[in-house]
Amino acid sequence: MINIAYYPGCSLHAMAHEYDISTRLVCERLGLQLQELSDWNCCGATAAHSLDHQLSIGLSSLNLALVDAMQLHRVTTPCAGCFSRLKTAAAELKKDNQAAKIEKMTGMALTGARLVEVAHLLQVMVEDIGIDVIKEQVVKPLTGLKLAAYYGCLITRPRTIVQFDDPEQPSSMDWLLQSLGAETVNWSHKAECCGGGFAASQTDIVVDLGGQVLEAARQAGANAIVVACPMCQANLDTRQKAIEVDRGTAYNLPIIYFTQLLGLALGFSAQQLGLNRLLTKPFALLSALNLA
Amino acid sequence: MAADFYKPMRLNEVDSSFAQQIKAACDTDVELCLECGKCTGGCSNAHIFDITPRKIVQLVKLGAKDTLMSMDSLWTCVSCHLCLDRCPSGINIPRIMDYMREQAYHQGVRARRPNVELFHELMLESIKKTGKVAETPLMIKFNLHSGQYFKDADLGRRMFFKGKLSPFSPRIKDTTLVRRLFARTPVHREG
Repeated sequence: MINIAYYPGCSLHAMAHEYDISTRLVCERLGLQLQELSDWNCCGATAAHSLDHQLSIGLSSLNLALVDAMQLHRVTTPCAGCFSRLKTAAAELKKDNQAAKIEKMTGMALTGARLVEVAHLLQVMVEDIGIDVIKEQVVKPLTGLKLAAYYGCLITRPRTIVQFDDPEQPSSMDWLLQSLGAETVNWSHKAECCGGGFAASQTDIVVDLGGQVLEAARQAGANAIVVACPMCQANLDTRQKAIEVDRGTAYNLPIIYFTQLLGLALGFSAQQLGLNRLLTKPFALLSALNLA
Repeated sequence: MAADFYKPMRLNEVDSSFAQQIKAACDTDVELCLECGKCTGGCSNAHIFDITPRKIVQLVKLGAKDTLMSMDSLWTCVSCHLCLDRCPSGINIPRIMDYMREQAYHQGVRARRPNVELFHELMLESIKKTGKVAETPLMIKFNLHSGQYFKDADLGRRMFFKGKLSPFSPRIKDTTLVRRLFARTPVHREG
């Protein structure tokens, strides 16, 4: 049993609830004990780092301090945005002068918080649990699924801070999905941006960038896109209709969290994993392959 | 059109110590720039930027602070960090973008994309009050404040039936520390 602190982030308690529930189910099955931080605060997301660097680092430092207070030294989050903010704060706190500034701002000692390590959930899956171990637990292979593993920006970038996988040609999610029996396509846009935090404030940018991602996945012959970030999911799923109108192409590509597919392969039902909550319905695809 | 072909950039204000200021604030040295253009080549949004990443680095070297604070790119950069990863010299352009936006905001330079700034402010207001972000109330507030009353109404209906919308605002039990952080910054709307 591996113990790790769990930071779900705001999205997983709201729109991306299905990412939270599928994460909890698969982690429990795989022997990863997630301990949710008590009374965690928002990481500040794009808003904080866009307008105030110190505020952004401060907000995530508070969460790192909560990890330390639980006497854990490692925290994971399924959200690429939260991951990036936590990881950046952890890197900043390594600098003595920056740590001193944040300690002054928060009025608390961050000695323990400075030692906390941050890992994205995908990283924990492949590095802590291991693909071989996951493969042994598969009861329903995802045979017939042709998937585009989409990493987006912040799971692997910037490489100096993240230090996980390859930022140009990431492959960890591909290996994971292949170990579940699915096929993954070789495609151009696995690490391109979906438009990130601009879903509401500049929808046209999301329609533009997200449209390129959907089109590339279609051309590569994928029948679904797999994500490890609630923003990637929301942008590609909720804006898919607008993208179809913009590009004059029907995509009908379900945007599925990797934890949901992992859960299916481990024997959980589509309902348990919240697959019914996706806007672009995956059921025609999954039932044709006897997967749901 | 020949007349559109060459547009020199006119720099009104320059500050010779600016590159040093960036080095101190952003922990990155623009003098290392090789001018190779890999940042702009990979940039997700270079096609809509008024000033592209390689030029931004050059403008830092020239000390064109005012030009940088008022550029449109500040508000269309998606912070994907591709420029930083591709830079052979490791120049932290995303950090420079954040710093310039922060400077522009604090000095009252009017944002070229007011809706982006508004969205950030409303989100920070939510964090300041509750410690968290409530997505649905944030979207509704954004539509009201930006005067786009029916933006995404149809999408909202579809999301409602998927159980993705919630009117409730979660809040943390103890907001003391979060409030302490906000006490030293004016980056949220009052009201």
